[in-house]
Amino acid sequence: MSDLAIGAAFPVARPVARAAEAYNMDVVKKFTIAAMFWAVVALLLGVVLALQLAWPVFNLGLEWTAFGRLRPVHTSAAIFAFGGSALFATSFYIVQRTCHARLFGGEALANFIFWGYQFFIVMAALSYVMGFSQGQEYAEPEWHLDIFLTIIWVSYGVAFIGTIFLRKEPHIYVANWFFLAFIITVAVLHLGNNVALPASFFEAKSYSVYSGVQNAMIQWWYGHNAVGFFLTAAFLGMMYYFIPKQAGRPVYSYRLSVVHFWSLIFMYIWAGPHHLHYTALPDWAQTLGMVFSIILWMPSWGGMINGLMTLSGAWDKLRTDPGLRFSVTAVGFYGMSTFEGPMMSIKVVNGLAHYTDWVVGHVHSGALGWVAFISFGAIYYLVPVLWNRSRLYSAKLVAWHYWVATLGIVLYITSMWVAGIMQGLMWRAYDKFGFLQYSFAESVNAMHPYYVIRMMGGVLFLAGALMMVFNLIMTVRSASTAVQPARETAAAGA
Amino acid sequence: MFIKHETIEKNAVLLMVLTTITVAIGGIVEVVPLFTIETTVEKVEGVRPYSPLELAGRDIYVREGCYTCHSQQIRALKDEVERYGHYSLAAESMYDRPFQWGSKRNGPDLARVGGKYSNDWHYAHLINPQSMVPESLMPRYAFLANREVNVAKVARAVRANKTVGTPYSEEQVANVAADLAAQADPNADPEALAKRYPKAVQVPGDGRRVTELDALVAYLQVLGTMVDFTNPANEKLQQ
Amino acid sequence: MHEQTSDLVVGLLVLILGLVGLVMASGALDHAMYVFGLSLAGFAVVFDMGLVKRYFDRQDAARQEGGHV
Repeated sequence: MSDLAIGAAFPVARPVARAAEAYNMDVVKKFTIAAMFWAVVALLLGVVLALQLAWPVFNLGLEWTAFGRLRPVHTSAAIFAFGGSALFATSFYIVQRTCHARLFGGEALANFIFWGYQFFIVMAALSYVMGFSQGQEYAEPEWHLDIFLTIIWVSYGVAFIGTIFLRKEPHIYVANWFFLAFIITVAVLHLGNNVALPASFFEAKSYSVYSGVQNAMIQWWYGHNAVGFFLTAAFLGMMYYFIPKQAGRPVYSYRLSVVHFWSLIFMYIWAGPHHLHYTALPDWAQTLGMVFSIILWMPSWGGMINGLMTLSGAWDKLRTDPGLRFSVTAVGFYGMSTFEGPMMSIKVVNGLAHYTDWVVGHVHSGALGWVAFISFGAIYYLVPVLWNRSRLYSAKLVAWHYWVATLGIVLYITSMWVAGIMQGLMWRAYDKFGFLQYSFAESVNAMHPYYVIRMMGGVLFLAGALMMVFNLIMTVRSASTAVQPARETAAAGA
Repeated sequence: MFIKHETIEKNAVLLMVLTTITVAIGGIVEVVPLFTIETTVEKVEGVRPYSPLELAGRDIYVREGCYTCHSQQIRALKDEVERYGHYSLAAESMYDRPFQWGSKRNGPDLARVGGKYSNDWHYAHLINPQSMVPESLMPRYAFLANREVNVAKVARAVRANKTVGTPYSEEQVANVAADLAAQADPNADPEALAKRYPKAVQVPGDGRRVTELDALVAYLQVLGTMVDFTNPANEKLQQ
Repeated sequence: MHEQTSDLVVGLLVLILGLVGLVMASGALDHAMYVFGLSLAGFAVVFDMGLVKRYFDRQDAARQEGGHV
């Protein structure tokens, strides 16, 4: 049985006739709505920040709207609110469908996870705006919020893992391996990085038990694996379910998924120090981080190949299923950023790229191109299924969304490439007398046109998301569970 | 080799245990030695815990998210050393909770900004950055001038830092209020302050109350100045 | 049966969280903690009331079904 094909063990593309009532789809619906809501919020904040960098007058002179306080709101809204909600929705959907079991823990637990998580997001955003932050990227929530999130996360683990134990299939489906790794690792990272002593039990200010160089290493062990497990492993889980579903084909290679799962989760953990090249972090740690970051390219592309090759024989569906177009393009962007990342982790390249907008561009090709696109693809598939509609309101609008959003990403990442490389080169340029050629302020000035282009890219991406929201609302509001064959929608396969 | 994978994927507990072990290895190998290898943070003369006013300023720096645009880490690269000064040593941030090395420079590095500009320049710049640097993208922080530093809060901060390992002496803990007032009043006798916190820079507060702006300037003025690189004892640190 | 256990465990957990929130708000030394504590208490009240409502909704549904059969 070494060559057991996933498609044989799991009828991924077979219509499941069991009563939908057997599953808890209510929580999936709620998280889907939340994901779209937070997507718009996160993108809107992104546009505001881009405006502030192009024209500082948009800081409005108020403490609550200054860039430094809003930036964590944007990153948290994008990663944890939008990305998190999309992951909760899809993981709860996938685990129930692939285990043929109702979500463990009953309605109350599912509702607690949903409302508790939304409460956490709102409280965290509010606290940043009010000026409370741990001052570590992507780990900004203060200690009391960290504890609250831990409770939510444990509840999530109980519901998800409990469902796995209830499964009626002997095998655990590959998507669920990724979700399991995501749940376990994020818990470890969150607990490991946020060990801090509050100034008092009644004060929302704490001091990390780690300081200086150890603090830096642990922060980037956390930070890079927030990317590795929150934004990569978990979204790969999404890919492993929805692409086979949408394409109506089994996963390309079972062996590849085994190899790339274990190698990916093993290697990602090591990559953190590439955020700290040429700093006071000891050289041995920097070198380890670089080496593993480069090797990481291989398992990453293993995942990409497995996703793309699943479409072999079904490429024609790209023409008729615009939702699938998002998923496939997402995998393409995943391949691109997981090539760019290892390249940027090479010390000499990093010497130029670090601290510049190249990094910002790299992050956004992953966040917009991979994370957002794979989520959009999944949500376009899910909404008609969840609300029992035979098709989306408008396939044409999906196509428009696709092209507008893609153009937005292209504007964003190309402007940031140019800006970042230019910045890096200006900082290290010498004139003929051997002096540094440019003042820092001159490099800031040179960025202006690119910041404006980046802002326009963001506006396009936001516009696309708004089209999607409209399309989904109209889909839900359309009365029909009509008999018409759903030729143009992903629901056809279900 | 993969024949046995069937066993793993049919057993949820086994899958979770193996996953946990797999993800634990890298972190353990990279993090634990940083606490055990002594040369990770080389002993350097001059690095001291932040004075109460500097610590209050540092908390404001963290609160306002200055790290989203400013790094505090001069890399060991030729142009960086020429632009900003001696590359950063691990010891220089050994009392930084949290570390603020940063990852993006929308503005310049601040690791050695201390002493580069006058106090007056910093006050004017924080109130209206564009009045000092026309190209600047920095928001205005004029509101800091109207906010008083809460002495009790600073005292709790010093105690909490001491508890997690910053070596504040009993004397330093006992004199938080006095040191705070002395550093923000140019007419105060600096002797006791300088004894407890060498190189602490007095800032020209208005003499009646200590504002958050005073605290932030005091913090910025000490950044990167604690280690004396002209001292031959530190010579071996040069490249 | 299963739903009732879930209601009870989650309901109690949220109740405790709400009480902790009240304590935090009562002693709060800064705005963030005050807002968080009060909001947590409010969250707990609303959530637990939602649990109660769902419980009676289920009872009603069961009774109606029983009536029809």
